[in-house]
Amino acid sequence: MVTSVVVQAVARLLLAPILMIAFAILVKGYAEVGDGFSAGAIAALGVLLHYVAFGRATTERLLPIRALPAACFAALLLALALATGPLVFGDPVLTYAPSPGAEVVQLGTLEVIGAVAFDVAVFVIVMGAALGIIHALARQAEEIRE
Amino acid sequence: MPTTLNRHAVPALAAILLGASGFAVLLALWLAGGGEVDVPWAPSLDLRLHFRLDGLGALYSLLATGVGLAVFAYAAGYLPRHLAAHGRSPAQARPFWGLLVLFMGSMVGLATAQDLILVFVFWDLTAISSYFLIAYDREERDSRWAALMALIVTGVSAVLLLIGALVLYAEHGTFSLPELFDRVEAGGTLTLAAGLLALAALAKSAQVPMHFWLPRAMTAPTPVSAYLHSAAMVAAGVLLIGRTYPLIERSDLVLDGLVVIGLSSVALGGVLALTRDDMKQLLAYSTLSQYGYVVFMYGLGGEKGAVAAGFYVVAHAISKSALFLTAGAVTEATGGAKRLSELGGLARELPLLAAASAAAVATIVAVPLTLGFFADELFFKAALEHGPAAVAAAVGAAGLTVAYLLRFWAGIFLGPRPCEARSLSAVLLGPVVVLGAVVLVGGVWASPVSGLAAAAGESSLRTGADASVAYHLDARPENLMALAAFAIGGLLLAAQTRAERWAGVVAQLGSRAGPERLYGAGLRRLNAMSDRVHALEVRDMRTRVSAVLVPAGALVVLALVATPTSGAFTVGAFEARDAGLMLMLVLAAVTAVATTVPRRHLTLALVLSTLGYALAGVYAFFDAPDVALVAVVVETLLVLLVLGVLALVPSAVLRREASLPTPAKRRWRDPLIGVVSGALVAALTWATLSRPSPARTVSAEHVRLADQAHAKDVVTAILADFRGLDTLGEVTVVAVALAGVLALLRGGRMW
Repeated sequence: MVTSVVVQAVARLLLAPILMIAFAILVKGYAEVGDGFSAGAIAALGVLLHYVAFGRATTERLLPIRALPAACFAALLLALALATGPLVFGDPVLTYAPSPGAEVVQLGTLEVIGAVAFDVAVFVIVMGAALGIIHALARQAEEIRE
Repeated sequence: MPTTLNRHAVPALAAILLGASGFAVLLALWLAGGGEVDVPWAPSLDLRLHFRLDGLGALYSLLATGVGLAVFAYAAGYLPRHLAAHGRSPAQARPFWGLLVLFMGSMVGLATAQDLILVFVFWDLTAISSYFLIAYDREERDSRWAALMALIVTGVSAVLLLIGALVLYAEHGTFSLPELFDRVEAGGTLTLAAGLLALAALAKSAQVPMHFWLPRAMTAPTPVSAYLHSAAMVAAGVLLIGRTYPLIERSDLVLDGLVVIGLSSVALGGVLALTRDDMKQLLAYSTLSQYGYVVFMYGLGGEKGAVAAGFYVVAHAISKSALFLTAGAVTEATGGAKRLSELGGLARELPLLAAASAAAVATIVAVPLTLGFFADELFFKAALEHGPAAVAAAVGAAGLTVAYLLRFWAGIFLGPRPCEARSLSAVLLGPVVVLGAVVLVGGVWASPVSGLAAAAGESSLRTGADASVAYHLDARPENLMALAAFAIGGLLLAAQTRAERWAGVVAQLGSRAGPERLYGAGLRRLNAMSDRVHALEVRDMRTRVSAVLVPAGALVVLALVATPTSGAFTVGAFEARDAGLMLMLVLAAVTAVATTVPRRHLTLALVLSTLGYALAGVYAFFDAPDVALVAVVVETLLVLLVLGVLALVPSAVLRREASLPTPAKRRWRDPLIGVVSGALVAALTWATLSRPSPARTVSAEHVRLADQAHAKDVVTAILADFRGLDTLGEVTVVAVALAGVLALLRGGRMW
């Protein structure tokens, strides 16, 4: 599918900023508006724009999308581990690491706490699922056209 | 071994090494006095990892690893031939070995587990590995059908096991078996729980009436039949009876049930074994008959029964495995003959195999100088304590065993020779010879086995037990009973044709009106019901949606009629700052109405997306920026995906579908359903918003706790922390959606 030069230029130029914005939404999610889910969806949208403009083969050559479905399931396991891990120590599920009132390590806006790890896992799951589905549909479209 | 050491032999060697080291470690632990592991890993949920290598655990785990080792050695030679004969690549051996090792591990875990939940987990693990192993020849329809049957019968009964465990937990507050043994008292609850546990065990050991899956499971490759379906998985059932014996023995009803079911299985298995022509089917019926012996012994109760049961299981498992391996070797040597009618006179060509399998047959038949003689001696001693009826039953059962096993052996190795036989390689012959030698040595030196059986009896009875056996050359009752059994067996063999005719009648009855027919009929009924529900509900998209909307609307009408509606619908004041919200709401409403207009799919998709964005604007003006952000992003993603999928459909098809006229019935039915359900939902929303709930305790609580959760944005804290379990569930659904799409479009591959 050949798209116009304008679309291609826009897609190429916007890819990095979109990924940056997604990452920013993820990082600042705990302090301001945003969370892992919308960050993952925005990142997927940026890559989807690139798919539409350049087609499947070029995009998958440029970006490491191949690892994403596996990363999605690995992140799901991480989220499950974070949720059920505290059971081993006798705490109820979803007890996060720095307990209320304890010191919290901060990297700028980002707080290094268990809930943020959970959010990152949600980000990877959503982005991996969206891009995995897009890849499967794109492959199906190619096979139909042949 | 015919093949050189290539990479396909590595999994086999690894499995054999694992089996050997497992056996050695368990033996060393047992000789050092046993061991125990007790880790409460989730104390708030009462879950513990509690394993103990007591007598019962040692007996079954040594059996599983020891017999497993012999079967693994056999399979190392058998599997490449089997794969080559079916035209499959040698790399397909790897999952087979993995499943066998998984099975061996779960048997050891099941034997040593002291916690009912652990028992259940390992129980199901054995059932799952059995499913994949039976269905190893995936292309054969019989294999798939047999695997499903085995899984359903043993899996459904496993649920009974869980229910029994939960009943005991509800009554006594613990899953741990040692604690339960101290706390239970005879009564209705105990009878119920013990009955459920016994049912699960009996289904696993293929006892009547849940026996029909075992003969079908003989479509599995020979090593699987020799290991799972003679020595290990069916032994798990009697292992459970032995492990929970302190619970079962307090309920006379369950004990009587065990006696009845055990005797029926002995009789049915023995009678049907007399009629079978296929070697492995005969051995399958023999297995279920022999486990009937064990169940009968447990049902008799008392010290002698429990001790005899343990001894019997060891003797039977070793020899039955040897016989299954013999059947497989004979099939290999004669190039595929599986039936007794096709075989005969192989003693001249395969003398070593004939001798080894004769030792195995002699064990089960209880000839002196084999391990089985002592097993039967203990069996007869147990039966003598319980009156003449038990004695008669025991002698009759032993006689049947003699008859059908001698028929088996003679049918293969004696008589005229209708077929040719190649010589066998050492790797197929060796394990049979080793197992045969073990039972012969056991006939002379039985103290290891009797020590294990006594220890197993002690675990079951929780008091001391004794299993000393020896040869007595006087006219003891046990010796007389053994002689009587041989006599009956001889008579049955002499009257073979008449006996086979009667047995054939029983077999016909069973296939016409037996439990297998019930199983088949049950499955068919379930399928038919599912098809009917599907036809009713899932005919087309609109029917599915209206199947939700119409009942919901009816419930809303009920609610409005039933609750007092005075002051329910109020109209609030309209202020200037609500202008933006009003604008977006009007836009959303107009777009919603406009979705009924377009006929072309592309236009409809775009109008729907406008509606989504309008709603996102509504959220934004409603002071919910997080929700608005998510709504916009998700809407964009979905619209692009819908457009992409639409692009896959040929435009000619889209044009044709768009120009189809609406059928007359739907022209009034769809708008009516839409208008009525929309009006009702609007009424409900109006009523809800007219009376906002006065107490906003939950949200105020969240805002208050946000600081303790180290969060400045309350919404994100709610998603990731306070309502984290909800998010976990939703995220799991997203991952499952990905798995579904990959399964449908990429054939299950991840890329």
